[in-house]
Amino acid sequence: MMEDAGARGPGATATRAHSGWTARLRTGFPIRVVGLSGLLVLAAITPGFTAAPSLLSLVNTGSLIGCVAVGMTFITLSGNIMSFALGATTGAAAIVCAALSGFGMVPALAGAIAVAVGVSALQGFIIGYFRANPIIVSIAALALIGGAAEFASGSRTVYAAPGVLDFLKGRVSGIPLTGLVFLASVVIGQAIQSYTQFGQRVMMVGSNLRAATAAGVRTWRTVTGAYALAGFFTGLAGILIAGRYGAATMEYGAGYDYSAIAGVLVGGTAIAGGEGSVSRSFFGVVVIASVTVMLLLRGFETEYQYLFTGLIVLAAVLLQGRRRA
Amino acid sequence: MGPILEARGVAKSFGPVRALRGVSFAVAQGEVRGICGENGAGKSTLIKVLTGVYRSDRGAILVDGVERRIDGPQDAQALGIAFVSQELSIAPHLSVEDNIWLGHRDVPLLHRRRALRQRAQEVLELVGLTHLSVDVRASTLSLGERQLLEIARMLVRNARVLILDEPTATLSDREIAHVFATLRRLKEQGRTIIFITHRLGEIFEICDSVTVLRNGYEVGSFAISEVDRAGLIEAMLGRPLAQMYPPAALTADGPALVVRDLHIPGTVGSLSLAVPQGRIACLVGQIGSGAAEAVRALAGLDYTARGEISVGGLHLRLGSVPEALARNVRFVSEERAAEGVFLNLSVRENLVATQLETLGTGGWMSRQRLTAAAGRLAGMVGIDGSRLRSRTRELSGGNQQKVAVGRSVTGAGKGVLLMNEPTRGVDVGARAEIYVLMRRLCEQGYAILMTSTDIEEVVGMSDIVVTMYRGAKVAEYAGDAIDRSRILSDIIHQETAVTETA
Repeated sequence: MMEDAGARGPGATATRAHSGWTARLRTGFPIRVVGLSGLLVLAAITPGFTAAPSLLSLVNTGSLIGCVAVGMTFITLSGNIMSFALGATTGAAAIVCAALSGFGMVPALAGAIAVAVGVSALQGFIIGYFRANPIIVSIAALALIGGAAEFASGSRTVYAAPGVLDFLKGRVSGIPLTGLVFLASVVIGQAIQSYTQFGQRVMMVGSNLRAATAAGVRTWRTVTGAYALAGFFTGLAGILIAGRYGAATMEYGAGYDYSAIAGVLVGGTAIAGGEGSVSRSFFGVVVIASVTVMLLLRGFETEYQYLFTGLIVLAAVLLQGRRRA
Repeated sequence: MGPILEARGVAKSFGPVRALRGVSFAVAQGEVRGICGENGAGKSTLIKVLTGVYRSDRGAILVDGVERRIDGPQDAQALGIAFVSQELSIAPHLSVEDNIWLGHRDVPLLHRRRALRQRAQEVLELVGLTHLSVDVRASTLSLGERQLLEIARMLVRNARVLILDEPTATLSDREIAHVFATLRRLKEQGRTIIFITHRLGEIFEICDSVTVLRNGYEVGSFAISEVDRAGLIEAMLGRPLAQMYPPAALTADGPALVVRDLHIPGTVGSLSLAVPQGRIACLVGQIGSGAAEAVRALAGLDYTARGEISVGGLHLRLGSVPEALARNVRFVSEERAAEGVFLNLSVRENLVATQLETLGTGGWMSRQRLTAAAGRLAGMVGIDGSRLRSRTRELSGGNQQKVAVGRSVTGAGKGVLLMNEPTRGVDVGARAEIYVLMRRLCEQGYAILMTSTDIEEVVGMSDIVVTMYRGAKVAEYAGDAIDRSRILSDIIHQETAVTETA
């Protein structure tokens, strides 16, 4: 940008600590605008991006990542960095949904949500009450959920009862239900963040745990609640996966946590907590999903997608680190 | 002989904010210069320009009469200008000696240990830490000793000009005496000291001259004999301050807070006291006396505390902040940034932090009610309404403290306000406002229990003073019996400081 160049010119008196372009980045606004418009240009010149099949794929990919990202946002906002267990939770919820579909739609959906909320809330309790390290707890949970699911499913693909989950593949006035679930998640998530006392407590706990304690917040409840909520939205993603494939294994959930983390970070929610929002994560997810689809269209293999997502996360983390300094 | 350090017309802006608008001052060798002014007057910016952290937009800095370009702390160090910040940079797990040499650029990779050791010993003597072994881990040092160690670090770097930013803010009186004795010794050696403080008493105690800043301008530099307290405050505020400490209301009601046998394992043996409604009681003691810990325990922040506490006649269970809040017992922390306010959140979110339940029913929260409630509280504590949406981090220390106090004000008329160090790091204008606020809350029916290491504040504000020493109550004074020297001798107790302070 032109102003950036100006700020670094000879007349500039910026100091080391506050110099030129990093100062611009600190405000956060231009980087998002630049990034998003750059992405739009890239998308426009990518052949076939605006074609119906790739847009559909964008919505599907984005929505699954997105539901997990909405949940992840609450974990990050509450000051617990992120969870590596949400991908496994997605897979487990999908398996439960498929397995219970024989009993009907309601048990399948309720079961999937209950399992996802249960395992996540338990992690939240361990982290909030015992002040356990959230990353380590999530890694332990990842192994436990994976192991338990493999054990229960006998490492076989679990198929859904025919027809029960097909409505999930439906569309409402042309928009896939998956996308609508994601949009609803964003709206509900943002409403919880902005218009509930719980949402405010999450921000307080994430901003400053000690100050929240001194202000009379029962912090372990808030943290448990944030994880339970993360579990809920992750459970939704699991249900959508089960509906999409009509079957589930743990493999189906793999990678969603990672993309969700990327979405949250690119959206600009602070890793340290207490700053950011669900709607920011929405934009982050749009970016990540667009990049994924674009790479596919340009003929890159999946490993390049991982590479690219990794670079984006790294860049987001570095920028946040600069901003704090 | 010309000045050792001089600033000529130094100006510095941050975007639209003009922090310094042309400040000139000069310090002679061997001078102790105080710098005072309200928060936002430009003190820290000036110091950061002098030490090369910031480059000034305009103006010049002269060292020994020669204009110098100071590009970073290394340049400042090479010129003999050293800065001791408020947040000490001691590495607690290293020894005293390692801390002294840590980051020193003249220490080669392979060095002869003995010479360094000897030099470390010398500077420790210089700062009056003779009793300390250089091998002791820094974490075992008291706050005052750490402050002196920090000065020693600068001396080993041959600092001729020492700049100290509020060195006494967290120290007890005896430690302050130690630091001052050291500063006087350094002055006798011909070193120059620039001293920033909010405590006016200290300026008259240690400084030869004082520079007053206001809104980025230099109001003037005065020899200390030329000014008095009221004159200094007027220079800082730009208007005279009628009175610092507002008087207590005439009537006081029955006991609002009764503490019987408060016991905190390892900190407080047994403490009993009563605070009548409408009165301010102050627990006074050095760090380690248990005064601050006792107040924290009453706020529900200590799970190990035991005792019979009654608030307005009702029993209060210790160890739970929500229970304390249910009795309208509210707490203002001494660690503003770490525990007092949410720096990342907006001012309005901070103000309503302890009363979310009142903002909606069934767990919902109305943004309108939030804004209205915050606006009301802001008005009550004197925070500009236009700042409600600002991040609390952007406020001055004084305004942050007003936010912390404002959070404790509720519609409920009666309650107990617990305040640890109510004005630490708060400038003189905001300080006076906080004192007025405290008295107004008393009139509303609050009882205030506070702690303070600022003895002037204790004498000025307290209706009741309880002195403490090593976890036990020494004496209790009320009204006219509150006397500075008696309090001091109480809190220092049998280890009479006479021999040590020299």
